[in-house]
Amino acid sequence: MATTACFIIVSRNDIPIYEAEVGVAAKREDAAQLHQFILHAALDIVQDLAWTTSAMYLKSVDRFNELVVSVYVTAGHILYILDYFIVEIKIVFMLLHDSRNDDGIKSFFQEVHELYIKTLLNPLYLPGSRITSSHFDTKVRALARKYL
Amino acid sequence: MEEYPEELRTPPVTLASLVGCPELHPLISTHFLSEQPPINTLALPDFSKISLFNKKRDPDSTATSPSPALGILKRDWLLKHRTKLPSVLAALFPSHHLAADPAHWLQLCSHLDSIKTVIRARNIKFAVVVVVQTNADEISEDRMIALRKRAEVDAKHVVVLNPNDTSELKQTLHRLASTISELAGAFYREEGRRIKQRIEKKNVSSVELIVRYCFKVAVYAEFRSDWTEALKFYEEAYHTLREIVGVTTRLPAVQRLVEIKSISEQLHFKISTLLLHSGKVAEAVMWFRQHRNAYKRLVGAPEGIFLHWEWMSRQFLVFGELLETSSKIIQGISPIILATSSKPLTEWEYYSAYYYQLAAHYLSEKRSALELTISMSETSNEIDNVADSVVPSVYVGQFARLLEQGDKVDMLPLTDEEYIRYAVSEGKRFQDSLEIIVLLKKAYESFNSMKIQRMSSFCGFQMAREYFAEGDISNAKQIFDSIASLYRKEGWVTLLWDVLGYLRECSRKNGTIKDFVEYSLEMAALPISSDTGVRRDTGPAGPANLRQREIVHNEVFELVSGASGLATIEHPSNLKITGDESLQLEVDLVSPLRLVMLASVSFHEQTIKPGASTLITVSLLSHLPLTVEIDRLEIQFNQSKCNFFIANAKKPQSVEVSNGIQHHRTERAPSLSLESNKWLRLTYDIQSDQSGKFECLSVIAKIGSHLTICCRADSPASLDSLPLWTLEGCVQTVPIKDPILVLSGQKSTQVEEPDPQVDLHLGASGPALVGEIFLVPVTLVSRGHDVYKGELKINLVDIKGGGLFSPRDSEPYATDSHHVQLLGISGAEREDDSQLYSDKIKKIQQSFGLISVPILKNGDSWSCKLEIKWHRPKPIMLYVSLGYTTYSNELIEQTVHVHKHLQIEGQTAIVLNHHYLMPFRRDPLLLSKNKQASESDQSESLPLNQKNVLIVSAKNCTELPLRLKSISIEVEDDAEKTCSIQHGGEELSNPSLIVPGEEFKKVFAVSSSMNISKLKLGTVCLRWRRDLGIEEQSAYTSTLSWVVTKQKLPDVNVELPPLIVSFECPPYAIVGDPFTYYIRISNQTQLLQEVKYSLADAQSFVLSGYHNDTVHVLPKSEHILSYKLVPLVSGMQQLPKFSMTSVRYSAAYQPSNSSNSVFVFPSKPQFKASVSTNSRVESVSNEYIL
Repeated sequence: MATTACFIIVSRNDIPIYEAEVGVAAKREDAAQLHQFILHAALDIVQDLAWTTSAMYLKSVDRFNELVVSVYVTAGHILYILDYFIVEIKIVFMLLHDSRNDDGIKSFFQEVHELYIKTLLNPLYLPGSRITSSHFDTKVRALARKYL
Repeated sequence: MEEYPEELRTPPVTLASLVGCPELHPLISTHFLSEQPPINTLALPDFSKISLFNKKRDPDSTATSPSPALGILKRDWLLKHRTKLPSVLAALFPSHHLAADPAHWLQLCSHLDSIKTVIRARNIKFAVVVVVQTNADEISEDRMIALRKRAEVDAKHVVVLNPNDTSELKQTLHRLASTISELAGAFYREEGRRIKQRIEKKNVSSVELIVRYCFKVAVYAEFRSDWTEALKFYEEAYHTLREIVGVTTRLPAVQRLVEIKSISEQLHFKISTLLLHSGKVAEAVMWFRQHRNAYKRLVGAPEGIFLHWEWMSRQFLVFGELLETSSKIIQGISPIILATSSKPLTEWEYYSAYYYQLAAHYLSEKRSALELTISMSETSNEIDNVADSVVPSVYVGQFARLLEQGDKVDMLPLTDEEYIRYAVSEGKRFQDSLEIIVLLKKAYESFNSMKIQRMSSFCGFQMAREYFAEGDISNAKQIFDSIASLYRKEGWVTLLWDVLGYLRECSRKNGTIKDFVEYSLEMAALPISSDTGVRRDTGPAGPANLRQREIVHNEVFELVSGASGLATIEHPSNLKITGDESLQLEVDLVSPLRLVMLASVSFHEQTIKPGASTLITVSLLSHLPLTVEIDRLEIQFNQSKCNFFIANAKKPQSVEVSNGIQHHRTERAPSLSLESNKWLRLTYDIQSDQSGKFECLSVIAKIGSHLTICCRADSPASLDSLPLWTLEGCVQTVPIKDPILVLSGQKSTQVEEPDPQVDLHLGASGPALVGEIFLVPVTLVSRGHDVYKGELKINLVDIKGGGLFSPRDSEPYATDSHHVQLLGISGAEREDDSQLYSDKIKKIQQSFGLISVPILKNGDSWSCKLEIKWHRPKPIMLYVSLGYTTYSNELIEQTVHVHKHLQIEGQTAIVLNHHYLMPFRRDPLLLSKNKQASESDQSESLPLNQKNVLIVSAKNCTELPLRLKSISIEVEDDAEKTCSIQHGGEELSNPSLIVPGEEFKKVFAVSSSMNISKLKLGTVCLRWRRDLGIEEQSAYTSTLSWVVTKQKLPDVNVELPPLIVSFECPPYAIVGDPFTYYIRISNQTQLLQEVKYSLADAQSFVLSGYHNDTVHVLPKSEHILSYKLVPLVSGMQQLPKFSMTSVRYSAAYQPSNSSNSVFVFPSKPQFKASVSTNSRVESVSNEYIL
């Protein structure tokens, strides 16, 4: 289990729709506050990188001291809901972590992707809006304990 | 980078020394500097100064001595080689010293001896320059050899220099320079090899010395521009140094680490510089990463941590600066390096800004560590006097205490405590925050210029925080504001929360109450519901959760309600609203305060009648966490008469506000409390008297005695444009319950015009005829309204949409370019009194007209006539619209419009036709006609010298009777007279009436005698007008103008027929009564014509004569065939069919049918009067001709 991990899902227009601190240790507060800033700043790289590769898992794109930003980009997809459809652009999963467990992170991302798709299938969930489901939150934290 | 000594920062330059002939030194040294590579010169004025280079007792030289080294690198070693110790000594001797006097020669020899003793100890290379004054000065070969022997130099190291010979001087100097640099290269190579041997022998006493030797070898290699070797040995030194970190115990722990770090810093600097200069950016970046990783954890003793952070910060700063300077030289880092590297570098590592940002980060670490250290060592006061006497010692990275005892200066080693005290006092002198701000600013601007927005706002955030801590509020606020807008746009709520927290504090410190209220409200309204799990209480914003939002909310509303101001104990604030000061916040469509209050206004109807009332729903939404009680709402419209207030019934005092101003309607609502995330809906009726757009502009909410929030009104339909994140968590997101209005409700409605009470009548009769001026009477009758400022607009529009203007015809004839044209407007019947007025506006264009209508009182009428002319038959739509106001008052602009339209057909009145006739029973053989039969060309041919008949017929195609005045053929003036036309210009004595469908014909005789092929006949000109019926007889008709229709007759061909066949038979025949039928074939040519002919049998006749034969017709004569015929049947009978072939022209020929029949009476007719009989027969025969 990683000591620090901050997980965030970024939707279209770079709006975060889910965020969670999934690390165990209470780190120094100053650093904790910067996590989101680091993740946000790393979006600059993700934007460039996402279009150069077809891989979903972009591995570590940014480093900040011991912290590494790993990114997973979903393929863009189109949802059909009754008559009209919504075009969903790429969703970016970003994880700020200090562990070196590459495989674990990849598995974590894949499982969370699956969870996210399940959330999308919920007819009451408006794609692109904030994920407020507590079930989703619990599952993500469980996955983090399992893999990170 | 600037803090490094000069000799470290620049690549080493060879140093040479000159001695003797001081007047030549400037010349030589300037030339050497301009050489490539340059050579520095150390000029000694005379030979006595040679002793400067004498070797001192150097502990360094005794390498094998067992005493351990006191330090790793000597501080001044590099400088010594750069400025003091030359690699080559060049001695300059005037030539006459060699030549003439033995005394001179002796002196020269003694100089040489002294030089040799000095340089031998130092291994310095030696060159001799002989200075000659003129070219004539010949130096004897013997002397030169003697000199070489004495000086023990090679021949090529003796240079003859003639400073007066300008042509040769440059070349000589160049030769001298190359000699010197060759010798210098040899010197550095030998020195390097000497030291390298010491390393290889491995008999070095301590590891420190290995580092020193490697460094020296590398520097010597650099002196001779051998970059690869230099790099190799620098790296060697670096690695060796890294190994001794845990090993050496020579110095106290803290100082040991400091020494090692500063040496590794120098080595790293050299390595990075070399790598970057050779363009290996990726390698340099990798090297830096290794360097950072190697030393990252060497923090050292806890009280000296700040030294580590400072060192780290400096590493990043220096590398950033190196990268920046080199990236100016090396254009564009290819991203391919990124991909190929096995351990991929992130993109950031190629940007210098990245290093600046991290340098700032470590500097702030240093600051906090330093503060910690200071706070721990607060009690000791003797820091200063110790610090005074501490100076850098002779070794790099070491410090010593300077002990002065009279003249004697002594260096004493320091203990760690003393050193730390010294370092702390040094550290205090620097203002770290300023340095941090400078670094972050560099990074911020650099990222910004590369359009890396998020990273730059991260830097900006840190920088602004630094400014804030420093108390530079205005700078901090400016930067916070700019980054807040990015976070707002992207919806990173928690980041925005932090930034807004700072901004709020900034405005609190500045005392700008409006900003404070705005930021506080925005914070309170941010959609943060629960903690994300982190305890984050660093910024002034506090933790981002619902409770904190409520705290902020309460704080701001206490302030604006004037409860107490904010003068609590922890914030002795200057924020206070006093007296009748009021605070108005504007919420427009892009304001972030839309979260605080959103006003959606919807009219229930899209159009309303003036004076009729409709419903309007005002819906308000707030995302503030707590319920807000509104005192009064004001709804503002673009028609300010309609503005109204909604007062909160629970707050009775707030109704009467501004008593001076016109009284507006005030409604009372039982409750105006705006709950969190819940629409407050209010529906009232409203009416407007003024036509046009009626729009709700804004909703102004008054909360407490000081705060008003002015929300720009929004249509419910446009709410979709809000970013998604601002609406989440809302229980109901529809501002109106009515499902239709939610989708289509608009904040504006259209108030219709009052119904017009003026009749507009277009009286047009029947279709219009092409060519005539068609009059459309327009009549205005006022029935209830007075007409002021009336304007009549006339428009002609093509029904089929093709346009009335055809570009094909748009030639100089402006009048013809329009198919239908509005010519003018005539006969305004009250011309006498309105002449002046109606002239004021009168605009007539081809298809558009605008005229003004005089003032009409109720019951009056006015009329005019539109003159329209058709050029082509085309249906058009005539639109006439009247716009007027009912009041003479200028101020009220309430126009009423009446529209009328009428479709008018345009018809062609008369269609002209024409055809030609040959003389009766006389057929010329027209060769061209035969030919053309196959080619189906329709152009007509006429025989020459024959009298032809032209019949022009005019047919009335309309449904109206027409009067025809004349048909004439007008020959064009300029055309030569090619033919004669009889009855050309005659007029009918009385205009004849043509009823619809009737055809009027006129016969012209045309003959041509001229031998031309084309005959231009001219133009048929027809004058006509409508029949007026009963009025036709009145005198009025004579004044009417006639419409002229013209049609050009096509040209006809004329040719000479070679043969003409004419038939002769009596005008009529009687059954059983034989008659003779002559066929006359006349040859018009000068040639003999052979003609085959045949005559077919006819049923109605008995015939005698040849059926077939071939005859020869002599030139210019005729041949007559005669047949006897007895008619058998009465009535119109076809004569036996005659056909003939001209052999010469091989042209078959058949006379036309019409000329080939005769009427057979059953018995001899009885005619009463011979005159009438004749005319009767004539007319009968005429009829058949036609």
